[in-house]
Amino acid sequence: MTRHFSRKTLLKWAPLLVLLVLVVFFTAINPAFFSLRNFARIAITSSPALMVAIGVTFIIIMGSIDLSMEGAISFSAVVFAFMFKFLGGTLDSWGWLALPLIVLCGAVFGWVNGMIHVRLRIPSFMASLAMGFVGTGAAILLTGGNIVKVDDELFRGLLTVRYFGFPIMVYVAVFFLLVGAFVQSYTPLGRNFYAVGGGEDLAHASGVKVRRVRVMGFAIAGAYYAIAAILAVGKIGQAESVSGANFMFISITSVVVGGVALWGGTGGVWNALVGVLIVSVINNGMVVIGLPDFIQDGMLGLLVIIAVVLSTDRRSIQVVK
Amino acid sequence: MSTFIKDFIEKETINRRNFLLATATGLGAAAMPGVFGGGAALAAENPALAWSYRDRASAYWNAIVSGGEDFTVSLGKTAADMTSLINEGSSEKSLADIKAFLAKNSGNCAIACDANDSPNARPVAEACKEAGGYVTTIWNKTDDLHPWDIGDNYVAHLSWSGEKPSEEAARVLFKAMGGKGGVVHLGGIPANIPAIERLQGLKNALVDFPEIELLDVQSADWDTQKATELMASFITRYGDKITGVHCANDNIAYGVIEAFKAEGITGVPIVAFDGNPEAVQMVIDGALLATVFTNPRWGGGIALSLAYHAAIGTFKPSEEPNEHREFYGPSIVVTHDDAMDFKAKYMDSTPVYDWKDLWGQSAGGIVYK
Repeated sequence: MTRHFSRKTLLKWAPLLVLLVLVVFFTAINPAFFSLRNFARIAITSSPALMVAIGVTFIIIMGSIDLSMEGAISFSAVVFAFMFKFLGGTLDSWGWLALPLIVLCGAVFGWVNGMIHVRLRIPSFMASLAMGFVGTGAAILLTGGNIVKVDDELFRGLLTVRYFGFPIMVYVAVFFLLVGAFVQSYTPLGRNFYAVGGGEDLAHASGVKVRRVRVMGFAIAGAYYAIAAILAVGKIGQAESVSGANFMFISITSVVVGGVALWGGTGGVWNALVGVLIVSVINNGMVVIGLPDFIQDGMLGLLVIIAVVLSTDRRSIQVVK
Repeated sequence: MSTFIKDFIEKETINRRNFLLATATGLGAAAMPGVFGGGAALAAENPALAWSYRDRASAYWNAIVSGGEDFTVSLGKTAADMTSLINEGSSEKSLADIKAFLAKNSGNCAIACDANDSPNARPVAEACKEAGGYVTTIWNKTDDLHPWDIGDNYVAHLSWSGEKPSEEAARVLFKAMGGKGGVVHLGGIPANIPAIERLQGLKNALVDFPEIELLDVQSADWDTQKATELMASFITRYGDKITGVHCANDNIAYGVIEAFKAEGITGVPIVAFDGNPEAVQMVIDGALLATVFTNPRWGGGIALSLAYHAAIGTFKPSEEPNEHREFYGPSIVVTHDDAMDFKAKYMDSTPVYDWKDLWGQSAGGIVYK
């Protein structure tokens, strides 16, 4: 019993241990890694990725998958940039209205995604992938392949204004992390995600409106992708049809590395946080210790496998698909 | 034998006879132009125009295709008369579309094409030769494939050298750095030829500046976000040692500028490549030291113009020297001093090119290493 208990505890904290080991490892090779300035750099990189990871965590907890993030982010980023400019181009004017509107727009995008999945009975994998392409296509159509600059100094304060060494966008990300944690632990919807992921038939038999829960999950994910889009635009000051590129890999990898099982029912937003930090620390650390770039991709893959091995409980599952 | 079977056999026999007759007629008809107009294929009238490319999702390809449309309009047609064959990054689709276009217009075509990858240029050129159409390729072509080996139907190949202009931009950078200090290079996708050439250009310039150290070279995959993150990591590793940044394209430079902005670092000179409108504006504002402009609009127009003029018989490709059939497009290094003039000439107004001046902006024949 004691042994079982300790193993369970170890598994719970394994992702965090992996993160700490990585930090110690990179610091040992190049002490410059362990500095407030560098942690701020890692935090900036992680902020948009964390929002995407939290969004997809809700879907993965339900045992589904959402691959629409790249299209959703590109689309949201581009629509946000146009809307922001149309409403005055600065946070000082009506431009601020673009912020809540785009989160709503993202939620609608996710809702459509969920409806296609649930109503048309298309597997979430396929439905979301297709919606992602629609999003990217719409972004190309809107921009015609050009870059939309967002250079309002107030809005760019997300990146340039710092408190305690960290820019505002990091605090925004932390705030929405707490919102995500609240939804997950203290709302019926959050608990229903786990019910659906743990056993859909049982959840249905217990009176959970599974279809509604699923659609809501996708809508919340869409809203988080839109927040990620705002942070991504804030980070580089521009929106384009490739604003969402690379987010699929980093978010899904992070979620899995953080200990959220792809088969649903376990894990949560805190795992997503640790997962995103692990991937960002690896990416930053490899450059900081001076690893040549042709080794980096291979090394990232290797470290991801090691992290998954250490941080997920695979003993309880009988079949790995 | 039942009447049914008898009728059937009779019917089939007649059908076969009809078929043979029809075939003979068809062959005769097909041979007619060959008999009466042997030279018809050499000087086609009003060839159908097409541009085959990946998609319009970047400022660069937008400019290429707009150039093709400018040329089409200059013939008194509308922009829609130029057919866009979009290959979506698939060589198979690229070839299939071109073959379909050739078949639809019975070979009476002038086509400009980026074959998507180098090996695909040969089947594209051969398909055009077989159908009697005329093609000019840009960017992708294997080194062993030459227009003069295929014949008049493969009119020309146009490319841009990344090495020389990248070297020039690096020299501008090193002078701004005062001839000493540390430089980092943020590259494109490592296996891309432009990425390799642009890095080589930097290395060539380094030979003349012994007090400048190349601190690090890493790939940013032509991507702004990746460049921001990579530059942030470089700052952690090298800190103040970085006194200049050499980027493989404009998108990467945008990311580098943002990484410096996040740190509150100002005054580190950055050079880039492509000459996109945003980058030129940054050169004017002083955020970017220099960028290289390759005039994609002219390239897109002239590639189609070459194929068109060969098709209507204005010139005979095989009578042209090799440097007219494989040549580099122009590259202009844009610095703060000339950025305003440059913007007025190329960005604020669309320059009107003489599309009959086929080699006017050529930067010389292609050199293989």
